[in-house]
Amino acid sequence: MKCRIFGIDFKNPVFLASGTFEFGLIYKNVSNRVGAIFTKGITLQPRKGNPPPRVHETACGLINSVGLENPGVEVFSRDILPQMRKLKTRIIVNVAGFTPDDFVKIVGELDSRVDAFELNVSCPNVKKGGVAFGRDPDICAEVVANVRRVTKLPVIVKLTANFCDPLIVGRRCVEAGADGLSLINTLHAMAFDIDKKRVLIKGGLSGPAIKPVALFCVHRLKDLGVPLIGVGGIMSGRDVYEFLLAGASAVAIGSATLRDPYAPLRIIKELKRLTTSG
Amino acid sequence: MISRRLKIIRKKWYTDNIFGLEFNYPGLRPLPGQFLQIQVDEGVDPFLNRPISIASYKRARLLMVIKVVGRGTKMLSAKERGDQVTLFGPFGRKFRPKKKKSLLIAGGIGVAPLHFLAEYFCKHSVNFDMIYGVRTNRDFILRKDLEQMADNTIWVAEKGYRRAGTVVSVVKKIDLTDYEIAYTCGPKEMLIALQKLDMPIPVYAFCEDFLGCGCGLCLGCAIMYRGEYKRICVDGPILELGGIDFEV
Repeated sequence: MKCRIFGIDFKNPVFLASGTFEFGLIYKNVSNRVGAIFTKGITLQPRKGNPPPRVHETACGLINSVGLENPGVEVFSRDILPQMRKLKTRIIVNVAGFTPDDFVKIVGELDSRVDAFELNVSCPNVKKGGVAFGRDPDICAEVVANVRRVTKLPVIVKLTANFCDPLIVGRRCVEAGADGLSLINTLHAMAFDIDKKRVLIKGGLSGPAIKPVALFCVHRLKDLGVPLIGVGGIMSGRDVYEFLLAGASAVAIGSATLRDPYAPLRIIKELKRLTTSG
Repeated sequence: MISRRLKIIRKKWYTDNIFGLEFNYPGLRPLPGQFLQIQVDEGVDPFLNRPISIASYKRARLLMVIKVVGRGTKMLSAKERGDQVTLFGPFGRKFRPKKKKSLLIAGGIGVAPLHFLAEYFCKHSVNFDMIYGVRTNRDFILRKDLEQMADNTIWVAEKGYRRAGTVVSVVKKIDLTDYEIAYTCGPKEMLIALQKLDMPIPVYAFCEDFLGCGCGLCLGCAIMYRGEYKRICVDGPILELGGIDFEV
């Protein structure tokens, strides 16, 4: 199950997606057995996050509107990262900037103490930055080029499929120096409270409901010449296998851990069985 | 946290929309306020588990009392004795209630976790009284048990024939200085009304909400508490009532 991606060895191609496993410190026995963990999105300044309701269940998934709640890069670097470094897994920091400059500062602060960076140019739950510039190929390319100058570590860009073609943005990111692409981030979604006749939640849809969309996007970008991390509704070893067939080099498990924090271990076992029997 | 697939050993309907499921679950050792996540179905719809508080745990027998409020709890209500269910937990902060004369204030289905607190108090010889309010007289559950455990009880129904009113109207009338501490669980409107009474003793609320993961991973169950967001699932569910900002 070992794999080498972006010149780094991973113990297996099953990673933990950003935002659904905190910092990997609650269920360390799971973190220690996956290939890598993507941290919660880290911003330059601490963020309180959005007011409740933050999660809403939908058919085969959920809408979340957490709003990038995180302690900010300073506290992360000082208090959380040293604990994460004791985990027996690769650490990929999800960098969430609101301006191109934010990305450079956060990456500069953490460089050499982590294994790779994932640039979150596509969070649907923040008013500025986020998905708005995730669909702008020029800004994404600028962000990647700037970050490229301050780190030698692998730079992965997390792409959105919201109102844009990830192939166009992805190609520009690769030209600007991205080492890999994660796709997809959650999809814009909303729900209404019909009794009160008002919006209940606006946020990002995740879970098995978006898996077919994620597979399509991975397949669409498979010839860009960089490794792809497939993310979206993976619940089983069979789902992982589908993403590998679509062209992904690895996958990240997101919402499945909300249903069962130990799901990644089951998924790894199932994948092992599938790949050895085939 | 552990997960267990367990057989329902007893099912009981208390009212037309509140039922109890019993399991044999040795070694659980829960504390008051803790809850389990029940997987509704093996398939992915509904996707999330349902957080259900522990109503009783005696000699390895676990009781969870569930009110049908939506599709997930409706599906759970279709399960029968002998069916298997996957449970995750226990979740919730390890809160050890103070062994002081207490007042328990329950509203509606909020009685379930307070029933377990009552068991805990009996086991630790803590004196307590209980106020329990519901909509109509038909809605009382676990009443005999509670009468046996509490020193004094006051039952009140909004449309009651003997004592019409709410727990809030009762709390207003009684002398709270008889107690050192109070615990409450019930609908949000009731908690807000209790908070406004500004009671002279510490009041702890057992908070409820729709949860994402139930175990601190998703930051989905935020509640504004003393100026910052706390997670109901791991920082609670028991929080001091005065510190909660219900406006956010």
